[in-house]
Amino acid sequence: MASRLIRQSQGATKIVKQILSTDKAEARRRVLNLYKAWYRQIPYVVLNYEIPGVTVKDGRVKLREMFMKNKHVTDLRAIDFLVIRGQMELVETVNIWKQKNHIMTWFKDTWNPKPADFLSKFYEGN
Amino acid sequence: MAALRRLIGFVPGMVQCARQGAGLHRAAIAVPLMNGLLSRNLTTSAENKPTVRPVNPLVQKTLRDFGNYIGECLPKFVQKVQVTTGDELEVLIHPDGVLPVLTFLRDHTNAQFTNFIDVCGVDMPTRECRFEVVYNLLSLRYNSRIRVKTYTDELTPIDSCSDIYKGAIWFEREIWDMYGVFFSNHPDLRRILTDYGFEGHPFRKDFPLTGYIEMRYDDEVKRVVAEPVEFTQEFRKFEYSTPWEMFPAYNQKAQEAAEAAPEEKGEGEKK
Amino acid sequence: MATLLKIWPLMGRRILGNPAACLACKSARTASGSSDQPEVELFVNDIPVSVPPGTTVLQACAEVGVQIPRFCYHDRLSIAGNCRMCLVEVEKSAKPVASCAMPVMKGMRVKTDSEIARKAREGVMEFLLMNHPLDCPICDQGGECDLQDQSMVFGSDRSRFVDMDHEGKRAVEDKDIGPLVKTIMTRCIQCTRCVRFANEIAGVEEIGTTGRGSDMQIGTYVEKLFGSELSGNIIDICPVGALTSKPYAFTARPWENRKTESIDVMDALGSNIIVATREGSVIRILPRLHEDINEEWLSDRSRFAYDGLKRQRLVSPMVKDASGTLVSCEWEDAFFTILDRLTGVTGSEIAAIAGGHADAESLIVLKDLLNRLGSEALCTEEIFPMDAAGTDLRSNYLLNTQISGIEEAEVVLLVGTNPRYEAPLLNARIRKSWLHNDLTVGVIGPQLDLTYEYDHLGDSTKVLQELAAGTHPFNKVLSSTKRAMIIVGSAVLQRADGGAIHAAMSTLAQNHRVKSGCDESWRVLNVLQRVASQVAALDLGYKAGVQVVRDNPPKVLYLLGADEQTVTKADLPSDCFVVYQGCHGDAGASMADVVLPGAAYTEKVGTYVNTEGRAQQTQVAVTPPGMAREDWKIIRALSEIVGQTLPYDNLNEVRRRLAQMSPNLTRYGDVEEANYFKQAEELAKSVKSSLASDALTPPQLSLKDFYMVDSISRASQTMAHCVAAVTKAEAK
Repeated sequence: MASRLIRQSQGATKIVKQILSTDKAEARRRVLNLYKAWYRQIPYVVLNYEIPGVTVKDGRVKLREMFMKNKHVTDLRAIDFLVIRGQMELVETVNIWKQKNHIMTWFKDTWNPKPADFLSKFYEGN
Repeated sequence: MAALRRLIGFVPGMVQCARQGAGLHRAAIAVPLMNGLLSRNLTTSAENKPTVRPVNPLVQKTLRDFGNYIGECLPKFVQKVQVTTGDELEVLIHPDGVLPVLTFLRDHTNAQFTNFIDVCGVDMPTRECRFEVVYNLLSLRYNSRIRVKTYTDELTPIDSCSDIYKGAIWFEREIWDMYGVFFSNHPDLRRILTDYGFEGHPFRKDFPLTGYIEMRYDDEVKRVVAEPVEFTQEFRKFEYSTPWEMFPAYNQKAQEAAEAAPEEKGEGEKK
Repeated sequence: MATLLKIWPLMGRRILGNPAACLACKSARTASGSSDQPEVELFVNDIPVSVPPGTTVLQACAEVGVQIPRFCYHDRLSIAGNCRMCLVEVEKSAKPVASCAMPVMKGMRVKTDSEIARKAREGVMEFLLMNHPLDCPICDQGGECDLQDQSMVFGSDRSRFVDMDHEGKRAVEDKDIGPLVKTIMTRCIQCTRCVRFANEIAGVEEIGTTGRGSDMQIGTYVEKLFGSELSGNIIDICPVGALTSKPYAFTARPWENRKTESIDVMDALGSNIIVATREGSVIRILPRLHEDINEEWLSDRSRFAYDGLKRQRLVSPMVKDASGTLVSCEWEDAFFTILDRLTGVTGSEIAAIAGGHADAESLIVLKDLLNRLGSEALCTEEIFPMDAAGTDLRSNYLLNTQISGIEEAEVVLLVGTNPRYEAPLLNARIRKSWLHNDLTVGVIGPQLDLTYEYDHLGDSTKVLQELAAGTHPFNKVLSSTKRAMIIVGSAVLQRADGGAIHAAMSTLAQNHRVKSGCDESWRVLNVLQRVASQVAALDLGYKAGVQVVRDNPPKVLYLLGADEQTVTKADLPSDCFVVYQGCHGDAGASMADVVLPGAAYTEKVGTYVNTEGRAQQTQVAVTPPGMAREDWKIIRALSEIVGQTLPYDNLNEVRRRLAQMSPNLTRYGDVEEANYFKQAEELAKSVKSSLASDALTPPQLSLKDFYMVDSISRASQTMAHCVAAVTKAEAK
């Protein structure tokens, strides 16, 4: 309770309770640590889950993609939240609480791409 | 925020816990007596309104006194004490006060709420702090229940009460899973109800009823796949206003009257 | 006069010429009769309010936002004062007062929520419910019933009705008044709104009351059809479930419906409607208030033809196979079949005809596509004389005075039109003005029942000549006023001598404008269109009439919802390839080689310009059935296939293009006025053709011609029942 963050919003300062990190450097370190942890685990994940058609490289590309998806996040607490969630996902994955289909959900291999041009949209019915 | 600060900052010296008068102690003895006494008197009014549960005014008063006593003991954390639906005591506290208030309620001689019923979340998206966290406690010693409410937003963690009540562990996991409220110092905070890989917190009001993805077994890839939800049928959405509604003013008045009625009772507000 | 109230029954227009009481309070204020008199001050629940003398207490209460419950009172009908629901307490009055019929008096102190008023309402409600059946669970009005709503708000919370043996409740035999309105007369509370509507608005004096006291009944005296083109409106104004919609019976509850605010395309007025949908189909259509077009009424065709939207629909593209039958196929197949036929055809050998339901978006996209292919042969089904100024000047083909202008007019001359069936709500306006404003009506054409009295000038074209020359007796009537309107039906302009008719009327109108010294903004010449798409098509530069197609038989003909058989196979060369795009399998689809399924007006966002020149848009209430698509998208997709990709991908871009062509088309809700009467008249002098001797006869003469005029209403079973019922009634 003693540690508090000061968040700037619309000119006014608001004191908020921190989650984990007290400053940007710490948050960055946490993100990188999580990234490294995932990175090291990917070969085992690919091996343990016997995923067909997904190589370690694919996994690392996906990992990077999912981290980059949140690169716009600057709020320390939001970053901490993402790190916490990522950590939970990692535990679920490494302990093989998940199943193959949960891993494959990230790859969206059965998703139909949405039509982009007018004609295919028209045939699709939009 | 300023008003809140004023409330918390108001610390009138040492709390006098030894004051016996306002405890639940006497009420617990008095209630059975009064119940027998009042049940005969209440029959006449019960016939007029058979669906309305009669409220024992003595119980109400005891609860209100006890509530005020808590407020006096923990002025830093207790923001409001109220008695709802006749005889349910509610203590609304600042989120920082979860541990002290719950400890007080568990250990105080006149409270002894040793039995932890549950914690649950409520989502009120229009509020600045959209989540309410509600603790329900039971005192077996005094046959009495109490409800402690606090609030938080999406990013502010709440102290886990799992050190005080071990039973809270799963309930807090549930709130984390369903609402995304983070409990700091929780021994094992992870999902409890949703499937692995599930994204989002389903009990939030802005989470759609259908969710975002749907699962199906795909025969080609021989596994369950998750795909974005596609609607095959539209929702049934009801329109309750009549197309030629003529008397909104009268209806509004009636509605306001109905809403105002229950609120009049049991507002043991702390100054 | 203004202090008198109009009390029902309304016997005839000459007795009661006071419009002020019937109109809403606001208009009563501006009425000329009351402006010179001082306003009366009274107090409603101690709030002071000043209103013109002659206003009723109920209207005065509405001024300060106090609503008074009512059953029989209706803003647009005369005052009956027989339901007694609007009782209020007036200080120093011995009894509660019926506020709808009580004129205001100086210093009156009205109490609307006092003990006496509440008690009075509760009593009235109790009496009403004493004879009202408790069949709300099976009543179609349930959920939108005034009696239900008001008994919840104003009724007693317990019953004193003790007739457990079911002996005493009044029961009334149901009437059969036609295929549209279902009657359960036991539910009737004798508010007489329907009677007043029939007598005043519809002008069909067929509904009335018989009997007295508790034996009083509403009915048609003898069992007969309620033969009005506005009959559906009595369903809306009925405060209880006595009159309900037959086609909608037991279909849905109002709270389950989704409502979409849209525009009607069954005639050229563009009435505002609400399309109620449930589970992806249109289940009923209700009018939406628009004071300048349809007020709160709707014609029966617009209201009940919706079941035609589910029948005879084109749900997938079709291509004619070797044996000459149309076979369903994919969109690609249909498009490539068209592409095959288009290759090697020069631009001048392609033509297009737009039908009456085409929206402005599809019209502009089709025009752009054909122009890119090198063709200029785009025309509408409806003919409009192209001689002289033709369609170049907008004032030539619009209802310039606007529909609400009829209420200001003093003389209306109807030329070769039967507004009662071509535009029933326009006719209702004429009747309203005739009833309240002493409007004089002249008619050139057959002598028909238009629900009001008129001077019949004959039906020959000679009358037109005499009028134009100023020698006809009616010229005197015209010259006596500064506010005259000439309404020319578009039907007579279809004739070979349409140009001459238009020219004659244009001359007459311009002469009148000059001579009478009327206001510069007052327009005299009006053309009443019959189809919804015509004005937008002409605004976009479509040629009116299919003469172009007849003159240069095309190799490829594109029909955009053209179902009126203006061009048949016989007019076309045998190798002509016909593409039909539209929503219904009607005449157009049956002569087509390729059929492209389009959307009906409830299924697309489309711009329609009504006969006044007012742009309005329909909204999507349901999705098009099967593989049908929005019309402009079909043409846009086809343009990509034929290699002339049009530069717009979404509705906003199409609209931008529309605005480029004619900015008025996207100014929704506004009337774009047209003003070049003088020039038009001068050009009209160059019209060569002379008037033929045939009588000026509009096509819709009797009620049975009214119901089926386009592909949707032809597919509608309800409309077929109506025709059958009317035919049967006429045979009697």
